[in-house]
Amino acid sequence: MRSDPLFMPVRELSKHIKSGRISPVELTELYLRRLEKIGPSYNSVVTVTRRRALRQARRAEKEMEAGNYRGLLHGIPYGVKDLIATKGIPTSWGAAPFKDQVFDYDAAVVKKLDQAGAILCAKLAMIELAGGMGYRQPFASFTGPPRNPWNPDTWTGGSSSGSGAAVVAGLVPFAIGSETWGSILSPSNNCGVAGLRPTYGRVSRHGAMALCWTLDKLGPLCQTADDCGLVLETISGPDPDDPTTTDETWTYKPRSTKKRYKVGVLKGVADDAQDEVRRNFEEALKVVRRFASVEEFELPDLPYEAITRTILNAEAASAFDEFVEAGLSHKLIAPEDHWGPYARTALLATDYLRAMRLRGRMAKAVAEAMEPYDAVAAPTAKKAATPIDQEFRKVAPGATRDVMGAVGNGCGLPSIGVPDGFTQADLPTGIQFMGHPYDENTIINIARAYQGLTDWHRRHPPIPEPKKG
Amino acid sequence: MSDEKRRELEARLRVVADRYGDRLTPEELEEVRKALEANLDAANALRSIRLGNWDEPFSVFKPVRRRRV
Repeated sequence: MRSDPLFMPVRELSKHIKSGRISPVELTELYLRRLEKIGPSYNSVVTVTRRRALRQARRAEKEMEAGNYRGLLHGIPYGVKDLIATKGIPTSWGAAPFKDQVFDYDAAVVKKLDQAGAILCAKLAMIELAGGMGYRQPFASFTGPPRNPWNPDTWTGGSSSGSGAAVVAGLVPFAIGSETWGSILSPSNNCGVAGLRPTYGRVSRHGAMALCWTLDKLGPLCQTADDCGLVLETISGPDPDDPTTTDETWTYKPRSTKKRYKVGVLKGVADDAQDEVRRNFEEALKVVRRFASVEEFELPDLPYEAITRTILNAEAASAFDEFVEAGLSHKLIAPEDHWGPYARTALLATDYLRAMRLRGRMAKAVAEAMEPYDAVAAPTAKKAATPIDQEFRKVAPGATRDVMGAVGNGCGLPSIGVPDGFTQADLPTGIQFMGHPYDENTIINIARAYQGLTDWHRRHPPIPEPKKG
Repeated sequence: MSDEKRRELEARLRVVADRYGDRLTPEELEEVRKALEANLDAANALRSIRLGNWDEPFSVFKPVRRRRV
């Protein structure tokens, strides 16, 4: 275990910054150096935003010296997945055809973090087009296969690959990722960090690449569940530029008034998981039982995966219509991304609409089944990190069904993943707590309670120190 | 595979081949066929659920209000 300030949670780091013990400029320099020296070893960084970061850090330092402390994220460095627009800095969407794309505005989340005094240090690597063309292997990114700091011969998960790797490697204290189906929880699992997929509509997506308008969400990846709450409070809220955002503002309430939680576990949810994943999940549930009752429940029989998959396929086909028509998919890295989008061009409108009609039935059925519980627990993913050079579906092929992902994303439910142990090969595994819409506080507090009784989140991979100069 | 499914699969494949066949190799077209079959399986799973005429798509369209002067 290490007590390196680089691995301090944001809450702790901010205390040091506020008290003047840590200078935002020096801290930013430290992270920039790590991003530049260590980031390339993991293919986790697309662009280090050095000039902008130092400008923001100097401004933060001056403001604090003048007594103008903006809040807990003031002076805290961070990175964003490279599908989030940043003014004057390339935003590649992880894809070679867009590697020189530059927007003349900041995305809403970047503006909000800017207003909070946070310091943008990097645009982080990702799977090309957020995996929207149907990728099957880790190297589907123009910056190279995102390597996992726990073992560089394994994958970080995706598509928010660099966001997971950068947090666990101490290249940034927190990062912003996105999830359409699994893209925050997968790197949270593989990298062993806390990853929060907020309720659909909680965070504005203005300025973020669209993959699937009715499924896309932005959310934080952090050292702890508590940090996820701090970041979510900053980036959430209504935005007229994203009409799907909810009108209500969200306040993080880290102190729960609830004495004991009630957690549901979907019957058989871990049956097809890798043995070590299932064992760690069962051990994690023993810890959860110390502050919650845990009981199994069932969902009514509906084609959950077919509903969410059809919606994703149809909307992604439309979102990238011009791109595909222009034949640009053949310029992507992964061969399956070349032909992947074409099958979707033959989807029937009636099938998409049927999926959208069944979505309503699914949302009601799931809400009813989850009603007795504060949250539903499951393995964050059914596998630990897979080898960097293999198709991930071919590793433990029985563990590819994802009802939790289909239900959670299809119904717009929030979920938080946190590490719950390690495999024999020293790769992290995770537990997720999925909650009711707009009730991120409950799942964050459950995850905090779990982390208060475990130390998996305090373990860090062996990272070589960067050479000076 | 049922005859009905095979016919629908071939029809969809023809649509793709007619529009994009010139840019897909035979191997890629075979992969497209597999993906089309998976999409069709999903569609058939959706079609197996009875829906009522009143079951609306679960998306809300909001007309854009006139700006106040």
